[in-house]
Amino acid sequence: MSSPREGHKLLEVRDLRVHFPTEDGVVKAVDGSSFALDRGETLGVVGESGSGKSITFLTVMGLINRSSARISGSVLFEGEEIIDASAARLRDIRGKRIGMIFQDPMTSLHPMHRVGDQIAEVVLTHTGASKKEAARLAVESLAEVGMPSPETRARQYPHEFSGGMRQRAMIAMALVLKPSLLIADEPTTALDVTIQAQILELIDELKEKFNIGVVLVSHSLATIADVSQDVMVMYAGRPAELGARDQVFQDAQHPYTWGLLESVPRPDVRVERLIPIDGQPPSLITLPPGCAFSPRCRHVRPECTAAVPELRDRGSGHLDACIIEPDEKTRLREERLAALEAGA
Amino acid sequence: MTEPTTTPDATPGATVTADVPLVRARGLVKRFPITRGVVLQRAIGHVHALAGVDFDIYAGKTLGVVGESGCGKSTAARIVARLLEPTEGTIEFEGRDITTLSRRQMVPLRRTVQVVFQDPYASLNPRQSVGQIIAAPLRVHGVEGDRRKKVQELMAQVGLNPEHFNRYPHEFSGGQRQRIGIARALALEPKLIICDEPVSALDVSIQAQVLNLLGDLQRERGLAYMFISHDLGVVRHVSHRISVMYLGSIVENADRDALYDNPRHPYTVALISAAPTGERGARTRRLLLAGDVPSPAAPPPGCTFHPRCPKARLVSGDPAEVPERCRTERPVLTDVGEGHQVACWYPIEKGDAEKMMEIQASEITLEGDPELGVAQTEGLTDAQPRPDDLVDGGTGL
Ligand SMILES: Nc1ncnc2c1ncn2[C@@H]1O[C@H](COP(=O)(O)OP(=O)(O)OP(=O)(O)O)[C@@H](O)[C@H]1O
Ligand SMILES: Nc1ncnc2c1ncn2[C@@H]1O[C@H](COP(=O)(O)OP(=O)(O)OP(=O)(O)O)[C@@H](O)[C@H]1O
Ligand code: SF4
Ligand SMILES: [Mg+2]
Ligand SMILES: [Mg+2]
Repeated sequence: MSSPREGHKLLEVRDLRVHFPTEDGVVKAVDGSSFALDRGETLGVVGESGSGKSITFLTVMGLINRSSARISGSVLFEGEEIIDASAARLRDIRGKRIGMIFQDPMTSLHPMHRVGDQIAEVVLTHTGASKKEAARLAVESLAEVGMPSPETRARQYPHEFSGGMRQRAMIAMALVLKPSLLIADEPTTALDVTIQAQILELIDELKEKFNIGVVLVSHSLATIADVSQDVMVMYAGRPAELGARDQVFQDAQHPYTWGLLESVPRPDVRVERLIPIDGQPPSLITLPPGCAFSPRCRHVRPECTAAVPELRDRGSGHLDACIIEPDEKTRLREERLAALEAGA
Repeated sequence: MTEPTTTPDATPGATVTADVPLVRARGLVKRFPITRGVVLQRAIGHVHALAGVDFDIYAGKTLGVVGESGCGKSTAARIVARLLEPTEGTIEFEGRDITTLSRRQMVPLRRTVQVVFQDPYASLNPRQSVGQIIAAPLRVHGVEGDRRKKVQELMAQVGLNPEHFNRYPHEFSGGQRQRIGIARALALEPKLIICDEPVSALDVSIQAQVLNLLGDLQRERGLAYMFISHDLGVVRHVSHRISVMYLGSIVENADRDALYDNPRHPYTVALISAAPTGERGARTRRLLLAGDVPSPAAPPPGCTFHPRCPKARLVSGDPAEVPERCRTERPVLTDVGEGHQVACWYPIEKGDAEKMMEIQASEITLEGDPELGVAQTEGLTDAQPRPDDLVDGGTGL
């Protein structure tokens, strides 16, 4: 809403495709993905391993090597088309306008350089700031993420930090130039439960303080539900369902989302057995015809395999890519929940 | 409960009663030397991975173990599996002290305890076929008979296609690979399987498959599990009894529901409240712990949790103060009724969660007290969310 240029979303991705030609065939890692994000919002992204979550956002950041992949579609960032931007332009946007943090902070922090110097380096690369100014900004950024004694910490090396502090340092580095978008790909998976909570809380605080947009990729449905405004459920390289948090979690429309929700052990209902989704993830080289989820879907019917279902708006921005009509889905869902209730 | 039952694989003639646990660990201590120097390694200190730990594992039951990274969960598990020697303490198996058994004496016992590891990718040899991997323990222990038939039976049992015994690990999905690891662990018909984060690397749907398999095997074969996980929802699903660890010690032991419904140790309360619940606004109702986990090479004196403990601050009435007792005397596990044990000088009482929140809300400091070793004091917020009171907006996750 408060995008710098009136009428533009912070990030708008349309029909993104990322195909990797390999010896065995073309891997369709992302295959027609569309979604958008505003400032001040967190978009939570879930989906099984290999569903294209990381590749989607690596592509947004221009980090996929074009010689290894065929990329098409549109990525509008602050209204600017960046899908075919030059490497120099993308480098400029990354770090300055888009910050990112990954699962393992040890792989993104250089072990031989002082943490403060690494953050200052980002400033020096992207701005005409002096060394002294860059160092000051680095310390300020460390303070911003709640690092105690930031001056001292800036002079230390990554191995002198605990896992939680390293992840804080990564966030400080991602945010030092006050970007408008933060992409966090499994930022807490490697951390302890209580430290995880601290980091998620911090990301949320900073989101509100600086009015940035946040993309949070996670396997944990509960984490996503805790912090997101919007949720995207991915399956085989495209969104299966997309909507506001409550729409997706309380009024899920896609059978794959239903399956995910049923798989999680519920703290409030004791069951002998959990309910996994039958079958195996699809091959991304030879995707099943039509709906990619159809071979594993309880509600599959002949029309499902005829054509790839489009994402359809079910009203108020709640989209899903299942051909079944909403009324019937409501009935199917009610029957299913009643059956589960009776079985439990 | 006192009905004597004979256990077929124990030492001949041994009779155990049903309330003798399969495994009884007492006073387990493990110190790892920290060394410096390339040629002449000299110890410059110790990591106190385990600082005196007691637990029991019963046949047919699951002991869940939770706690922060580095608190000693895997070390305890590896000692039970006899992959690691304890520095101090004893392990009894079916009432028999096995701590001092020789390597040879251990052989028959080793079969009865198997381990399934976290990473289904790293723990399977990529150059061996699935059949070879599953047959390896049979070979090592010189089990005679038709090994291929046995392997195929095991594969069927864990839900793998027995015809795939000639395939290699990379041809299987993550969940299937974890099944291969489980089939290998089952080959010698163990009584106890130690599961060290067996589903942490899997996504929720595959995780559900593996947890179901473990549950079925327990019901069919009376297997016992020691189940380690970061995921409190998973631990609640699988466990009968749960031990909560912090920095090398067990700080709370309780039956599953008692632990989640009525946690008594301040760390357990924080751990439960830190777990994402899928509730709207749950993050504003979290009891956030100050600072980081201290190094096990230099554990704090007194109660090792005191630098981060919200209850200690409630007792002192001052967010920067901790009662002297917490700082100087180490609390031991003490019975608080119905088999519920807690190692805390001031166990959580009704209403504490709300009060801990109030204290903290009135005093949000960014810098912690360096003397207390508090790296940073986060604003403690709201009451402890009970996992089962799904408020409006809950997603039931
Ligand atoms: N360079 C490449 N060449 C071929 N295939 C690739 C390449 N990079 C990624 N892939 C494939 O693209 C798919 C999507 O990968 P991606 O990393 O986006 O998954 P993900 O959803 O992030 O999974 P996870 O939850 O495990 O992180 C995977 O099947 C992966 O094997
Ligand atoms: N072989 C070793 N040498 C030195 N220190 C060790 C060794 N093994 C473990 N430690 C240390 O002992 C402590 C306990 O480790 P352990 O692996 O048991 O923790 P954990 O609770 O399993 O943690 P995680 O949840 O991260 O798996 C840690 O501080 C660890 O660094
Ligand atoms: S003993 Fe003191 S510091 Fe330790 S948990 Fe209990 S109240 Fe907190
Ligand atoms: Mg990924
Ligand atoms: Mg471990």
